[in-house]
Amino acid sequence: MTDTLSTAPAPAPRGSRTRRRIPLRKPHRAPRRTGPPAAFGGPLTAIPWALPALALVGVLLVYPFMRSVYGSFFEDNGFTSRWTGLDNYARLADDPIFSRSVLNTLMWVAGTLLLPVLLGLLIAVATHRMRLGVVAQLVIMLPYAISGAATAVLWDFMLTSDGAVNQVLRAVGLDGLAHPWLLEWPHNTLSMIVASTWQGTGLNVVLFAIGLRAIPRETVEAAQLDGASGWRMFRWITLPQLRAVTVVVVGMAIVNSLKAFDMIWILTQGGPSRSSETLALTMYRETFRLFHVGYGSAIALVLTVIVVASAWMYLRRQMPSAARD
Amino acid sequence: MGRTMRNLFVAGCVVLWLVPLYLLIVNALTPAGGYTGEPDWLPGDFALLDNMRTAWDEAAIGDSFLNSLLYAVVCGAAAVVVAAMAAFAVVVLPLPRPAAWFWLIYSGTVFPLQIFLAPLFGLYADANLYDTRLGLMLIYAAWAVPFAFFLIRNQMTTMPPEATEAAMLDGASFTRIFWSIHVPLLRSGLGAAFIFQFTAVWNDLLFGITLTRSPEVQPVMAALTTLNTAYSASGPPVILAGALIVSLPTLVIFLVFRGLFLRGVTATAR
Repeated sequence: MTDTLSTAPAPAPRGSRTRRRIPLRKPHRAPRRTGPPAAFGGPLTAIPWALPALALVGVLLVYPFMRSVYGSFFEDNGFTSRWTGLDNYARLADDPIFSRSVLNTLMWVAGTLLLPVLLGLLIAVATHRMRLGVVAQLVIMLPYAISGAATAVLWDFMLTSDGAVNQVLRAVGLDGLAHPWLLEWPHNTLSMIVASTWQGTGLNVVLFAIGLRAIPRETVEAAQLDGASGWRMFRWITLPQLRAVTVVVVGMAIVNSLKAFDMIWILTQGGPSRSSETLALTMYRETFRLFHVGYGSAIALVLTVIVVASAWMYLRRQMPSAARD
Repeated sequence: MGRTMRNLFVAGCVVLWLVPLYLLIVNALTPAGGYTGEPDWLPGDFALLDNMRTAWDEAAIGDSFLNSLLYAVVCGAAAVVVAAMAAFAVVVLPLPRPAAWFWLIYSGTVFPLQIFLAPLFGLYADANLYDTRLGLMLIYAAWAVPFAFFLIRNQMTTMPPEATEAAMLDGASFTRIFWSIHVPLLRSGLGAAFIFQFTAVWNDLLFGITLTRSPEVQPVMAALTTLNTAYSASGPPVILAGALIVSLPTLVIFLVFRGLFLRGVTATAR
């Protein structure tokens, strides 16, 4: 392999004046675009480079994934397991806890689209080209740099029965609105969505801000010449131009809301009496607290299918162009 | 929409976002014994360091803090190197079926962690890796590889292939090309990937509570959860001081390396 190249001198010492031949490409010698140059060696040269990544991912992620899918066809309590076919999936259909969990998951998805995404869009548009707008964006981004667990601990302090939220409500004379927020459904799910809005909006603001900056100035100026401003400008110019970003933001927001675990686990552990569980929580409780391992795997698979299906839109965009064929 | 309206809206949002942070700091300042049962709105005594010490020593945040530092630095760095090598194989070298490799490695970021947990637990129990630092580091490294691979691969495709070709003509080996051309040129991309994975490992809770049990091994978010339940009656100040401690590294990284931090998290949108 190196033989073909050895006409070039070995890397000359720095500073030496050896004149190097600069390889010039003539059209007939242009590299074939259909495949890599033969000088790069056979197809096996690359394998050792990809092997460590493949080994880690294969053994610790891909294999467990397959094992989970396989395990979902078993009745398994951690010690003994028995093949039951699709029984676990049939049980899902008439498990009231599972239906409540699906309902909560849907609330999380809807709430995430309504609050962090919409609010993120509004804040990004409002702070765009605004004096101190960058500072405002920084403040709203700040909670995103804090972990989900720390956010949950902070909001636990805010939302407990004698926490800050109720304190404020009582102080302004809205005693009627004060609630034991985390102890009743649906308030627990709703208030946790608000808490995750506090944390997650910053990311959407930043993403939308990137999209806004990418709108060509000419487009905006042309619209201004045509007399568009305010709402019409937003509806007919800004929003269509943000389409690509919106696909990503919405996709990521849905996926993140489906994966939400830390916040709920710390604030309510899915309770009281499993009323605020989402699919991510139900799987964890069934598998590691109740040792219904097979049943938990079935829930995990359902969750995965939902996640992949909703991520498909934005995943397609990320696919490398070489991978599209 | 008037300009005033817009300013009011932004100012309102900023205030709403700052209030919880303000309460976090003010109440972490309150002496643990002097907490009235209701949140304080004005800073009183300055007992932050005492609270932090209590959280660090008695609630064992300290040990976990060091653990997590080890996990996040080592696994972040290892994942970046491994992912960069894989990206090199897919982009530069003639790996057959690059698309298949891409998806095989990338699939790790898409799936929810729940799909891996139960078999991992079994695997770890069989291999005596349950509740060990090594076990946790292995899964963190594996978990960090896919997205780092995605980031680095994207940047590597923007490098002109001529750079590699020129180095090959000069007789450089693949190892040399990788270390003296790609790694230096991709420095910022590798940095962004490292910061992203450092943050991800640091913030992880689910693997921590599933695959470890003892305080000597647990990562910091798991320790914070324990602290939150153990001290819930006696002292919000201690809990909040603990939350402050565990947030410091990522907050500092965010404030110091904002560009690189954002590059990682926004990479999917470009």
